[in-house]
Amino acid sequence: MADVALAAPRTESQSAPKRTVAIPAGLRCASPVILFLLLGFIAPLLTVVAYAFATPRSFDVFRSFTLENFATIFDSSNTVWMSFAWSLAFAFCTVVLLALVAYPIAYGLNRVFGKWSGLISVLFVFPLFVSENVRLYGWTLFFIKNGVLDGTLKTLGLAGGPEVLFTPGIILFGMVYVYLPFMLFPMTLGLAMVPRDLVDAARDLGAGRLMIWREIELPLAMPGILIGMLLTFVLAAGAVAEAKILGGQSVIMITHDIEIAFTYSQNWPLGSALAVLLMIIISGLALFVMSKLDLDRILGKR
Amino acid sequence: MTEISRRNLLQIMGAGAVAAVGPFGMAGKAFAAGRAKELNILCWEGYNSAQVLDPFRGSEKATVKAESLTNDPTMINRLRAGETNVWDLINVNNPWARKIMAPAGLIKPLPKAEFEPFFDKMLPEFKAPYKWAMSDDGKDLLGMAQRFGPYSFVVNTKKISRKTAEEQGWDLFNDPKLAGKYGILESDDWNVFNIFMVAGINPFKEHTPEEMKKFDETAQRVFKGAKMVGDIATMNQALISGEIDCHLTGGTYSVSPARADGYPEMRAVTPLKGPIDGKGGISWIEITSTVNNPNLSPLATEFLKYVQDPKVAHTVAFAEGTFNPVAQMGNKSCFDLFTKEELDAIQYDSLEEEMSRSAEYDIVPDYDKALDIMTAAKRLRG
Repeated sequence: MADVALAAPRTESQSAPKRTVAIPAGLRCASPVILFLLLGFIAPLLTVVAYAFATPRSFDVFRSFTLENFATIFDSSNTVWMSFAWSLAFAFCTVVLLALVAYPIAYGLNRVFGKWSGLISVLFVFPLFVSENVRLYGWTLFFIKNGVLDGTLKTLGLAGGPEVLFTPGIILFGMVYVYLPFMLFPMTLGLAMVPRDLVDAARDLGAGRLMIWREIELPLAMPGILIGMLLTFVLAAGAVAEAKILGGQSVIMITHDIEIAFTYSQNWPLGSALAVLLMIIISGLALFVMSKLDLDRILGKR
Repeated sequence: MTEISRRNLLQIMGAGAVAAVGPFGMAGKAFAAGRAKELNILCWEGYNSAQVLDPFRGSEKATVKAESLTNDPTMINRLRAGETNVWDLINVNNPWARKIMAPAGLIKPLPKAEFEPFFDKMLPEFKAPYKWAMSDDGKDLLGMAQRFGPYSFVVNTKKISRKTAEEQGWDLFNDPKLAGKYGILESDDWNVFNIFMVAGINPFKEHTPEEMKKFDETAQRVFKGAKMVGDIATMNQALISGEIDCHLTGGTYSVSPARADGYPEMRAVTPLKGPIDGKGGISWIEITSTVNNPNLSPLATEFLKYVQDPKVAHTVAFAEGTFNPVAQMGNKSCFDLFTKEELDAIQYDSLEEEMSRSAEYDIVPDYDKALDIMTAAKRLRG
């Protein structure tokens, strides 16, 4: 049916004048979605970019053009670079820790847990149904003085829990906890892509465990691992709740600075300029890493 | 593949634009015509609670939407950004209506004859013409008063006595021995006021470079010494657990939930003296105004009358979130609805003296500069 309907105009077009613009049928069919994406995704993004070049502390978007917001950010006396540095450093550490934590779990889900894999996967997904803030407040109650941990240890006659709340360390803990599923599941899928026969063949040919891991498992699972790393890095670089709730703002993340600019500071152009810079840094870093990793080789196309 | 002429392409693009914009345009017309049963409120938490809104929704058979935010600048910003055609009522602290929103044309005056009599039933200090409800020239009534309270700092009186806190006042936070034992509420506009107060400087005036330098030093020291910066829940939890002894920026508004939960030792304190013409504390009074909406809902003024009712005023005072005194307590039939426990939660015993020791919230002329300095000071915590 569709073929018939789409074929009909083709006959008409053959007699059309030469000065015509060709629009593929697919593009026409997709136009409502494209229009929706343009309005819902591209337009807000363009507005943010336009705001970044608007007069500071004004709403003159699309009516003014200035580089003043970027000049303010790059002013040598401005310490906002510290927030960028904290956010990127925390995101990097989160990715590294998550790679180390999630790999054995992903391996277990594929090879070890057997029929329990489904249930264990659900247990890792389950926290996602609860608001991130509620989960983080839960950890606050766990670690707070005379809270669950400290109170229980004192009841048992011990010295009490460690004073970890409201420190940078607990922020990292919170980020690893929150973003674990985002690393775990792409990694699990990646490891599922490794054919068991290949591992068996390598073992039959005398390869040791380490060699099998290095030469077969890791390269074949790399697409999933990379996607997990990229996803968690992007999410972690924009994290703010962990630093606010668990960290007691012991560190100011860049997203917190953006939030301050949009709220208390009443400076949407500066907030937009910070957001645009963050987008450039994150996408730039991601593209740089991807280019260095030679995706074609990893994905096995060569 | 289909080939179409340029003219056809333009026609398709035009049709697409109509298709995209048309529904919005038509919705706009329907929006204007259907506003008799619709009300949108931009407010601090409390006015958005079902306890307050549901009876009004029921009696008016109206769709009432309320968005709650916890700082004034963001709300004002929403109107400035063009949302005056969205909202009907805006509920913010006292100086904004008179000094910012009315001059900027963001709100419109209330019918004086209809609303001024309500002020006669309020507590004595709210009697008409009440300064913060009036325009600068005193001619227009710009909004209605309801919730208010002193807002300086909060102490655990088991750790720091009320007497010590009141006498030492803001100097408490200049004491190096308090480092690591206090928190700061993440209310950055109020923190600007309070860092000025700790520095011994009146916040509500233009500041000299020397004063700004002192503000910077104080901000760095106070933020560095804080155990944590967090929201009201974090502050109350930390006070109760013993993590901190006191916290900067706080009052009946923030501590009343803890007091109502059975921790009367947590207490809002207003210093005996301070740098604002001798006054040691700062207080806030909410003013609710009608937005300069071209299609203002007729329910906006009805809602303002509805919340003057003694029972509704009592519900507003004890709506979910925080508990606060209300101006309508001047009306005996409203006051009688408050139980002893409720009066204790809002520290009614010292309310009058604390309000008299407090200067009213005002605009800081160089707020932008001070906030930038304070934000930079916060970054040095890490």
